Amino acid sequence: MRWRPGPIFIILALAGLLPLLDIFLPPKLQMCEAVRGVFLYAILALGLNVVTGYAGMLNLGIAAFMAVGAYAFGILTCEIYPFQLGFWPALALTIPIGAIAGFILGAPTLGLRGDYLAIVTLGFGEIIQDVLKNLEVVTKGTQGINPLPAPNFGGGEWTANDEYKWYYLFFVLLVVTVIAARNLERSRLGRAWFSIREDEIASRSMGIRVERIKLIAFATAAAIAAFAGGLSASVLSSTGEPSNYDFQISILALCIVIVGGIGSIAGVLVGSLVMVGLNSIVLVKATAWMAANGIGSQGNVLLSPNNWKFLIFGLALILAVRLKPNGLIPPRIQRAKQ
Amino acid sequence: MSVLQAHGITVKFGGLIAVQDVHFTVKQGEIYAVIGPNGAGKTTLFNAVTGIYAPTEGHVEFNGHEIVEPLTRWVIFKFVCAFFAVGVFTVVGLNIETIWKAVIIDNYKFGQPFPWSVAATSWYSTIWSLPLVKNLLPLCVGGGIGVGAAAVSWSRGRSAPDHIARSGVARTFQNIRLFNELSLVQNVLVGMDYRMKTGFMSALFRLPMFYRERREFYESAVKLLEFIGLGDRAEQAAGSLPYGFRRRLEIARALAGKPTIILLDEPAAGMNPSEVVGLMALIRQVRESGITVVLIEHHMRLVMGVSDKILVLQYGRQIAEGTPAEIRVNPKIIEAYLGSEDHG
Amino acid sequence: MLDFEVFTQQLITGLSNGMIIALIAIGYTMVYGIIELINFAHGDVFMLGAFLALTLLGALGMEAWGPSGQVFGVALMLIGSAVFCGGLNWSLDRLAYRSLRKSSKLSLLVSAIGCSFVCMNLGLFWGGAPMEVFSNGNSAAAPKHFPAIIPQINLLGDGFLRITPADLLVFTVTIPLMVGLTIMVKRTRLGRAMRAVAQDPTAASLMGIPVDRVIGATFFIGGALGGFASVIYSLYNNTIGFQMGTRAGLDAFTAAVLGGIGSLPGAVLGGLTIGCVRSMSDQYLETRWTNTIVFCILVLILIFRPNGLLGKTRKEKV
Repeated sequence: MRWRPGPIFIILALAGLLPLLDIFLPPKLQMCEAVRGVFLYAILALGLNVVTGYAGMLNLGIAAFMAVGAYAFGILTCEIYPFQLGFWPALALTIPIGAIAGFILGAPTLGLRGDYLAIVTLGFGEIIQDVLKNLEVVTKGTQGINPLPAPNFGGGEWTANDEYKWYYLFFVLLVVTVIAARNLERSRLGRAWFSIREDEIASRSMGIRVERIKLIAFATAAAIAAFAGGLSASVLSSTGEPSNYDFQISILALCIVIVGGIGSIAGVLVGSLVMVGLNSIVLVKATAWMAANGIGSQGNVLLSPNNWKFLIFGLALILAVRLKPNGLIPPRIQRAKQ
Repeated sequence: MSVLQAHGITVKFGGLIAVQDVHFTVKQGEIYAVIGPNGAGKTTLFNAVTGIYAPTEGHVEFNGHEIVEPLTRWVIFKFVCAFFAVGVFTVVGLNIETIWKAVIIDNYKFGQPFPWSVAATSWYSTIWSLPLVKNLLPLCVGGGIGVGAAAVSWSRGRSAPDHIARSGVARTFQNIRLFNELSLVQNVLVGMDYRMKTGFMSALFRLPMFYRERREFYESAVKLLEFIGLGDRAEQAAGSLPYGFRRRLEIARALAGKPTIILLDEPAAGMNPSEVVGLMALIRQVRESGITVVLIEHHMRLVMGVSDKILVLQYGRQIAEGTPAEIRVNPKIIEAYLGSEDHG
Repeated sequence: MLDFEVFTQQLITGLSNGMIIALIAIGYTMVYGIIELINFAHGDVFMLGAFLALTLLGALGMEAWGPSGQVFGVALMLIGSAVFCGGLNWSLDRLAYRSLRKSSKLSLLVSAIGCSFVCMNLGLFWGGAPMEVFSNGNSAAAPKHFPAIIPQINLLGDGFLRITPADLLVFTVTIPLMVGLTIMVKRTRLGRAMRAVAQDPTAASLMGIPVDRVIGATFFIGGALGGFASVIYSLYNNTIGFQMGTRAGLDAFTAAVLGGIGSLPGAVLGGLTIGCVRSMSDQYLETRWTNTIVFCILVLILIFRPNGLLGKTRKEKV
């Protein structure tokens, strides 16, 4: 069979070539920096896609694991703590730490019915913010941990000005995540996840150990989310305050998965472009533009585009499940042999 | 030799007794049929046998022993692990601020190398210098909860359907439960899953083992599909199959795990006469490959044609057991199906 | 002796808050019982009810009314919010959920999350209304003060123990509502229809029960209870904000799950449990850890009783 580029490949290739376009654009319209955010959320949403898309368990607290990753990265690297690992070892460690956090939450609760699990994850997402805020001795409370290191490849540490270096770092890590997610999807494990999503009782009767398979999905998702968290902490050079990792982040990730196409990697990539593009490019630029042109005073709540965020997200979710129940790029039927 | 024995199975749902005190024995290589009017408790009996419902009373034996996970040393070791994991987690969680302060903050002077060896001992002494309410009590309470949770989940899972299926008891469902969004071959591969060996890491990193196993199982899955006559549709979605084929695919999925015994719940329901003839041949073929068959069926010609022994249920009770010839002339069965003269 | 009084005081506070939580939790549990949907928007419908009450209060200038006028005012707010929230909940069902009855539970839930966000955003806009009570809309997102139009006196005289008219209001509104609801579900035709639909919608529709209308009625009743709760909540806590729905909703849903979702007494028991745990933890442990403690208790209970305290095991038909 002749190889034809799939949608995932096309999207990633386009993303990889984007900086070339930037060269020809005036500085105001350059978008590499904004697209970095898209990559970050794409990684997070790929994690959520494993648990919600593949295994069909709704997780409403994925941001909590992102927070765990960010704080783990912060504590492992920041010079106010004794560990002071470099960028790469710390980023690598966020993965097992996230997996352990997922395991700790998942192990006691995975026997629950779907909706109960959703509420437990939602609660966990709220609690982790409280915990991080309260454990001031360890986490510096609302100050966040900073400064955090950036990677360096021999030639000194990167700064915020090394836009293209950061861009390609995020790009490469996104590609790695995509490959990892794809490898898992097209394996025995992915098949077991799909079977549980389709019919839990039947897959149990086929000898699938449902709890174990679910736990793996849960921990994998947590690990990927923690990885995204570590990455975001590094690029901001700070973990930020705990309430940065709130329900909105979880919902944004969920929106990406649902709008893009639940269980489809290409869908997640497109979904993150649409949703994050809307959230942190269009709305932000619109607000800036309106401020520059004197529209949108402090007084009128309706005239600040940022105030429409929830409405847009909400309508996006409602319309997505109504009009495109399978998302923008629905998953193809799984095939055993590609 | 008996492969399946039910001892006094009773299943109650609240006040409703669905199955009451059913005994039967299935011998190796037999085709054993369970018949009875609608609502007689046949499917419930199957569900009790395969672990989907826990029987209220009685137990089931496969090859002479019950399929429940025994309380081995390994399980006890896991309980001990749960005790210490949850216990230590509770203690550390409750005292994290104190411990962190004693171990990290007090030992670390900014910009100077961290005395790892001092820190490594100070966490230990810190925990034990706490009052008992803050170390031993949480350890015991947390550990107790850990063991309790582990024990509860273990006892819930010890005779769960997955455990029974893995010991070689496969089944199909009355209302077909295929994985509609997966392809035919993937459905079969799910049935083979517990025979596979590769794990998370070999899937993630695509180790050579992964490719070898995938090729092997894919080929045998296609072969199995060819055996039931669906080889040319291997890559289609199961949801797009016509009804009669779905039943066959379910049988293939059940056979995929190489079970010693297979339970078929109304395999002929909704099939046309020529499909039923094909099904009878298939059931015989399955038996010839050494697998014991237990089936629920309303289709009398099929039951009388293939089975070696028949069990008749009515209102949850067994009213007769015997060979097809005996059952055919048993007045009780005629009464069950057609009603007795007294009641008109 | 003092310790005992502190304990009793916390118990009263806990029970009052618990009753409010329970009233919201019933809205969740009823909807869940009938179509197995976690109605995420419920908390935000509750929040909008509080905003309506504040608007009524401000527009009619209730603060200036005399004592008897304020009793009338409270009744007016209760009825207004209840009708409004009920209607809103009903329209959410009509617009966003009804067409998804046949699709997967996940998409229904996602739709509910969407509704929740839309309602939350409407609350933000509402907070920017150019009215005195909304600080003329100058800071739409800020929490709003809800005037305490109920006198803040101690009904027990000068003792340490305090029971305020607000406490009394909580119980005089919630208990009759719960009793009435229980009777309605047990005795009336609508209640019977609701139970039938909850058990098997297909069979119920074949028996001639207008399933969609019964579900709509359930949404209306659940929403109306949320409306009552919103007014009591506002009078009791005196602060409202557009994000309060999330917090209250989370508490109430936790209560519903704790008690066993789908069960009315379970929701009440769960609400009271959470109210008491909260107030005890505030008093005897640290306030900042209260949410964490509630969450840990939820997880603990669910480990040992996966269907909640009073929930029944649902056996899936195989």
